[in-house]
Amino acid sequence: MSAVIEIEGLRKTFRSVRRGHRVAVNGFDMLVEAGQVHGFLGPNGSGKTTTLRALLGLVGPDGGRMNVLGEPAPERLARVAGRVGAIVESPQFFGNFTGRRTLRLLAVAGGVPIVRVDEVLEQVGLRERGDDRVKGYSLGMKQRLAVASALLKEPELLILDEPANGLDPAGIREMRDLVRSLAASGVTVLISSHILAEIQLICDHVTIVSHGRRVAAGPVREVLAGFDRHECRVRVAEPDRAAELLRGVGMSVTVHEGLLAVGGVAEPELITRTLGEQGLWVGELTPIRPDLESVFLELTGTTPHPALPRQVDGSALPGEESDDPVIDLDVAGDRGVDA
Amino acid sequence: MNLVRAEVERLAARRFAQLMLVLLALAFVITAATTVVGSHQPSARELAAAQAQVAQAISGMEAEFQRCLAVKSGQLPLDESVYLPRDCSELDPVLQERLPVIADYLPGVFVFAQQAEPLTLLLIAFLVLFGFLVGASYIGADLNSGGVVNLLLWRPGRLTVLGTKLGTLLGVVVVLSALSTVAYLGAFWLIGQTAGLPGQLDGVFWRELATGYGRGMVLVLLASALGFGIATLGRHTSAALGVFAGYAVVWELGARIVFEILDVARLEQLMLSTYVGAWLTGRVEFFDERICPGGEGLCSGSYTITGGPALAVLLALTGAVTVAAFATFRRRDLI
Repeated sequence: MSAVIEIEGLRKTFRSVRRGHRVAVNGFDMLVEAGQVHGFLGPNGSGKTTTLRALLGLVGPDGGRMNVLGEPAPERLARVAGRVGAIVESPQFFGNFTGRRTLRLLAVAGGVPIVRVDEVLEQVGLRERGDDRVKGYSLGMKQRLAVASALLKEPELLILDEPANGLDPAGIREMRDLVRSLAASGVTVLISSHILAEIQLICDHVTIVSHGRRVAAGPVREVLAGFDRHECRVRVAEPDRAAELLRGVGMSVTVHEGLLAVGGVAEPELITRTLGEQGLWVGELTPIRPDLESVFLELTGTTPHPALPRQVDGSALPGEESDDPVIDLDVAGDRGVDA
Repeated sequence: MNLVRAEVERLAARRFAQLMLVLLALAFVITAATTVVGSHQPSARELAAAQAQVAQAISGMEAEFQRCLAVKSGQLPLDESVYLPRDCSELDPVLQERLPVIADYLPGVFVFAQQAEPLTLLLIAFLVLFGFLVGASYIGADLNSGGVVNLLLWRPGRLTVLGTKLGTLLGVVVVLSALSTVAYLGAFWLIGQTAGLPGQLDGVFWRELATGYGRGMVLVLLASALGFGIATLGRHTSAALGVFAGYAVVWELGARIVFEILDVARLEQLMLSTYVGAWLTGRVEFFDERICPGGEGLCSGSYTITGGPALAVLLALTGAVTVAAFATFRRRDLI
């Protein structure tokens, strides 16, 4: 597959007289291939939006190399701008214009047929509100308008920064369906979001960033597999005795409120066989699969602690808080965990 | 071309621009209405009386000139109570810049030829204000509302986008100024024809009016570019308003007082308003005794600023601000 977005060693530091230097992106790499629905995850302040802004020519990088649809960005972005639809963080529009006029002006500026305006208003569910002033729109409606503006060009590459911001549950579902249908029609989609369950549902690939550096990348299932500790939750009548039996065959077991958490289980049937042979019948046996949220929290060191409010910049790189390696899945070639 | 079309539409849709247009129309209607109410077509009797007053005034001037010559040649004794210039040609009616005309003796009659210049200056003043404020608001609101970022996602050429915006602004201001001038002067010409007097509308009049208007239009365009440039540098409409108000209060008023206390010579040369006035009128002359430190002698105590240097100063200022705005915008992180 051809690379639609390539970023290598991107660096960006914001300098301000009052606040000094702040490193936003620090040697970040990313690869998005044609046809992917690629999730871009990271805690607040980790450099997601800066990366997207740099990619779209809104922020000047201090170093690194970027390509969009085969053209170096931002130098030759103009050559492919007509094929890239994008919204970048809290989209803002001129409040006194109607949604329709906002889109119309963009369509005229970009040489897009005006008929597209009504099509995208319909597509994002703003058909009936297109003639309202934008200042009367809710956050979710502004978000829909932003997505509509990105869709106007019928892009090959769609970059959506927090597209679900402010959307109600139905809106989130509609957005998910929209992205899926776009992906099905061949559009490559890069989505930055905090709604991890949503990303897990929509995306086939993911890149996770922390402190401006990539900490994981690859197909979603492979990233998750890298964190699968082969644990099972077991409910059984005599938990203490069962724990002893399972430890006896080399499994690690912890008992909590009558439930067993059994680790190191290559084949869950071994649990039922071991316990069954001793007359203990398993009431529940559930493999514990990692989800994107737990992986994300672990990788970025942002797992909440009840007594310790986390600060915005309080994320971490893998290895800073634990000995976990940086997960670096080679998305182009071998799809394995590279410690 | 598409970008220009979109920008023209965007500018035309801006409420602030629309409000300024309404204000322009309102000011125009009020001025025209009060002129119509306060003017009338002179009767034959009024015209005859005015004609007689003109003849009387000119013959009085001639008499003064002849008296001066007579005193100088010793034919008449010197009367201390009557002003006698060093050179009698100063009183020669033939050498006067302007002789009395009928319109000077027709109170309550609007004479277009006499009023066209101040009316044009009033229009230019409004258009300067319009250009500065609309220019600042046009880019300031777009930078502030994210409109520029949205546009750059479509047309990722920063200098092209900003240049198109500035070009659109100047183009719209020129077209609007031309239309409003035609409507404005046309209406007053009509008032002169129907409810006053047209006056002497010869080639000299139209040439002078066109020259003054042309100078004014240059000022309108410079003000528009300046408002646009300052708002771009400050990323907000209020930056332009703040700079304008700050300059007027701190420099034109405050610094002027300080300079006067410090006896700074030629202080008018330090004020932008001087160059605006010099460009509009073609020449301004100031008297400042501080430029003659050794006493009067041959020093007249006057200095002059003409239109050429004034335009150079205004162009340099606007050019510097515009170049800085483009240079800053090209490199700025849009976050």
